[in-house]
Amino acid sequence: MPKLALTSAIALAAALACGSAAAQERTVKIYGFGAKSGVVRIFGLNSEAAMKAAAEQVNKAGGVTLGDGTKARIVIEYYDDRCNAEEGINVMRRIAAQPDAFVAIGPTCSNVAEPVFGILQKKAGDASDSGLQFPLYTDVAAKGGLASISQWSFRNVPNESAMYKSLFEWIKATRPDIKTVWGGVEKDFAHSNATFNAMKGHAEKTGFEVKGQSEWLLADTSFATQVREMRRGEADLVMVSAHPFTTCGVLKEMQRQGVKPKMLVGLTSSSSLETLQGCAAQAEGILIPTSFAPVNPDAKRAADLVGAAGASMDLHNAAAWENVFTLKEQIERAKIMARPDTIQEDRRKMREALASMRETTGLLGKVVRTDDREADKPFLFVRAEKGAWTVAHTPK
Amino acid sequence: MDFYLGLAQVIGVHTLLGLSAWCVLHTGQVSLAQGGFFAIGAYAAGMLTVMAGWPLPWALAVGSLVSAAVAVAVGFPALRVKGLMLVVATTAFAEIVRLVFFNFKWRVQGPDGPVGPDGGLGFGGIRYFQSNGWTAWDVLALIWSLVAGVMLVLWWLDRSRIGTLWRAVGEDEVAAQSAGVDLTAAKVSAFGIGGAIAGLSGGLFSHTTTHIEHSNFTILLATFAIAYPILGGLKSLAGTVLAVVFIQGVLIEGLRFLGDWRSLLFGALIVVVMLVRPGGMLSSPLWQPSASRRAASRPKGAVDTKARHA
Amino acid sequence: MNATDLVDLVQSVVDGVMFGTTYALIGIGFTLIFGVMHKINLSYAAASVGAAYLSLILVKVAPTPLVYLAAALLGGVLGALIYYVCFRFLPLDKPLATLMSTVGMLLLLEEIIVHATDGMPQNYPAMFTGAVWDVGPFMIRGDLMFVFVLGCIAMVGLRLLLTHTRLGLATRAVAQQPVAARLCGMSVDRTNASTFVIAGLLGGTAGAMTGAAIGMLSPLLTLPLTVKGLVVTVIGGLGSVPGAIVAGLLVGGLENFFQFVRGVGERDIYVMALLFAFLVFRPGGLFAAPGGRD
Repeated sequence: MPKLALTSAIALAAALACGSAAAQERTVKIYGFGAKSGVVRIFGLNSEAAMKAAAEQVNKAGGVTLGDGTKARIVIEYYDDRCNAEEGINVMRRIAAQPDAFVAIGPTCSNVAEPVFGILQKKAGDASDSGLQFPLYTDVAAKGGLASISQWSFRNVPNESAMYKSLFEWIKATRPDIKTVWGGVEKDFAHSNATFNAMKGHAEKTGFEVKGQSEWLLADTSFATQVREMRRGEADLVMVSAHPFTTCGVLKEMQRQGVKPKMLVGLTSSSSLETLQGCAAQAEGILIPTSFAPVNPDAKRAADLVGAAGASMDLHNAAAWENVFTLKEQIERAKIMARPDTIQEDRRKMREALASMRETTGLLGKVVRTDDREADKPFLFVRAEKGAWTVAHTPK
Repeated sequence: MDFYLGLAQVIGVHTLLGLSAWCVLHTGQVSLAQGGFFAIGAYAAGMLTVMAGWPLPWALAVGSLVSAAVAVAVGFPALRVKGLMLVVATTAFAEIVRLVFFNFKWRVQGPDGPVGPDGGLGFGGIRYFQSNGWTAWDVLALIWSLVAGVMLVLWWLDRSRIGTLWRAVGEDEVAAQSAGVDLTAAKVSAFGIGGAIAGLSGGLFSHTTTHIEHSNFTILLATFAIAYPILGGLKSLAGTVLAVVFIQGVLIEGLRFLGDWRSLLFGALIVVVMLVRPGGMLSSPLWQPSASRRAASRPKGAVDTKARHA
Repeated sequence: MNATDLVDLVQSVVDGVMFGTTYALIGIGFTLIFGVMHKINLSYAAASVGAAYLSLILVKVAPTPLVYLAAALLGGVLGALIYYVCFRFLPLDKPLATLMSTVGMLLLLEEIIVHATDGMPQNYPAMFTGAVWDVGPFMIRGDLMFVFVLGCIAMVGLRLLLTHTRLGLATRAVAQQPVAARLCGMSVDRTNASTFVIAGLLGGTAGAMTGAAIGMLSPLLTLPLTVKGLVVTVIGGLGSVPGAIVAGLLVGGLENFFQFVRGVGERDIYVMALLFAFLVFRPGGLFAAPGGRD
């Protein structure tokens, strides 16, 4: 009898030890996906680096507390969708098929986000809708209004319309000598095309005269005709809604033809390293609204940590960083269990938590959540000065 | 499970695209226009279900017919040229189609706001499958029954007189013409049928991805379309399916564990497959034992000139 | 259309024609290979851009002309490499196989560029960037002029090579009558390889010139250059070098003309439609190849 008691005691102790050891090794997987191939590879690389750096910080601080009180480490797994709609959908389905997946961050390309949101269930709880039931918290894909496609899609991307409205109002207030505007737009990229319409609209509403616009395509190599139109337009302010490759092309052509407007305004995405690497000299003085700049200790630290990982932080992957921390809070708030048998419930809980968030913590301040699952992020205006982005103005 | 079903759906759609290219390649022409017909079918079928509320089968059928009509209309002038010139002519056509859709705007008021193609911003909200509660199995069944149907039709065509005419034109145009084969009829019919199949697969594509835009339909897609039958082997329909499974299943999805190397290996492995099996993966004919008796040294095929007697 | 618009239109077309030199160079490369082997090398434009990227290695240590030279030489090396990997060991009677292998090579080259540079555009040295000549109301860009002149030199050099050297003679012989050429003792394999090297040299120059004209290199350049190169080859007439030259300049000028008149969204539609019409009414191209029957 004593032998049996002893053996049972040892067995019990061993079981408890194993149990608690297993509990110490609990992991929570946050999936991510975006473009890591093709011309837009830098977005996926930066997002992944930011997510992993953020997860490391969360884990260092003790990890995330699950619904049963145990602490778990966050592990990031990132997939490459090559900025291709079908592949993005495949990746989404692959993630949804994992027994440990209850939330994902991504994608980076707007032309992937729209189809992926489209295959999600439109209204949560609608039994007649066979769409996928999986919460997605987007960091980069910024084309306007996408989150309204599905109640399972949430985005932490800047509200570009609000940013440009504020920018033009500030310019109007501080530069009375600027009265006319000429636009330039990269027409065949969803993001730059859509944002240009917002830029133009706000410029007009603020009282500027938009004298005309020049258009080009994503892969264009010659901008002589467009810049010539610009030169004839003789506008005080030139606003360019394009990504770094063509923005630099246009700016270089402007330098060549001697087009020197009083002010230059650029697209949010161009407030990155790419533009400075490509044409710092020509981009001198360009003003861009952005939802990230290393202007406070948190932001600086985040930028440094991501930089140490070999990437660079800009407004796009700053959202990825923020998302990881937001998800940590919401996982705790929703009491996610993160076990294979609770995973469907976890997805539902995650969605409800994301849907009921009123505000989240951003690197520049509090981010207000809107009713259509988008974000109202604090922003500021940066200017390219001597090869670096400096803060021009922080609107209240 | 849903993942594999989804992948099988993609494989099905791409198989149809590959089969459409197979048709045209069979008559010895390299056409990079299949992507254009794919786009036409995608937009047409999408517009019919979203903007006009049509049921899917009718929308797919009409999309397919529209593509076929355009294919025949384009085929007559285009097929007067051969070889590299046809490659470029079809590339030009496909680019024209893509750019037309880039500029195409037609919005109507839907229950949740405006719907319809919006030029460069694309055409979203094609949620027929989801709104009507189709499960992944339902969609898979639809796609693969269409694939099976098309393969059956092509197999039957191949065994019939039309197939013989196509093959004759494909192997030696001069000889075929001397034998009284109407070259134009053969080529245009192959082009038209290929266009119909591509239109059908396009309609399926727009419904499985729910959002389409001009950048989906680039030359790269057209290159994939001809890659499938070339990699699979032109002699057999099953080769095309195998090539699609190889490219979509193995190269794209299966190699994910290689991380960053995956996209690099994609191009490299295609080169390797061509080096190892230049006639395609299934290059031995499945039901044409007489083909092995053909003189293999005679230069033939799409981009060569007529047989050079030098 | 008032006078200013007319001036702008002419200016646009002139700019386009000068930029068209790069298209002409790529077109020549395609046409050379097609003329000799009757095969298309779809990876040609990608290799040209790749050679320009590779020449960036020298940017910090060598003056700009040497960088361009390096691009040309590296283009030749890449050309030989592509010949041996994609063409040498594939049977002659399967043109589709080489088509596909060059497609694979195109995808591979593009991905290598993307992985090496993370997809970000790289600055490329240009010469005479500040120089601008004012001819009346027109402005001629110095760097484009340089690209144009260099392109012309390359074309003249090619012509001399083809007409005054044994290699050129062999190339033309194999293009016209491959069996007879073999009977005369020419090594078809060596001639083909040399053709690829020559085309590669031209391509490397084209890549460098494109980079110089834009000021930057980006992986975005490969696919459009491939398509334009093919268009130029066909309009010029398959296998005809002078045809490719004229067609390249023509396409460059017409592109800008259509863009000026109809805007950027429809520009390519018209270029493609024109090509289509060309093919229907004059399939031989501007200059049909000597002895060719396509």
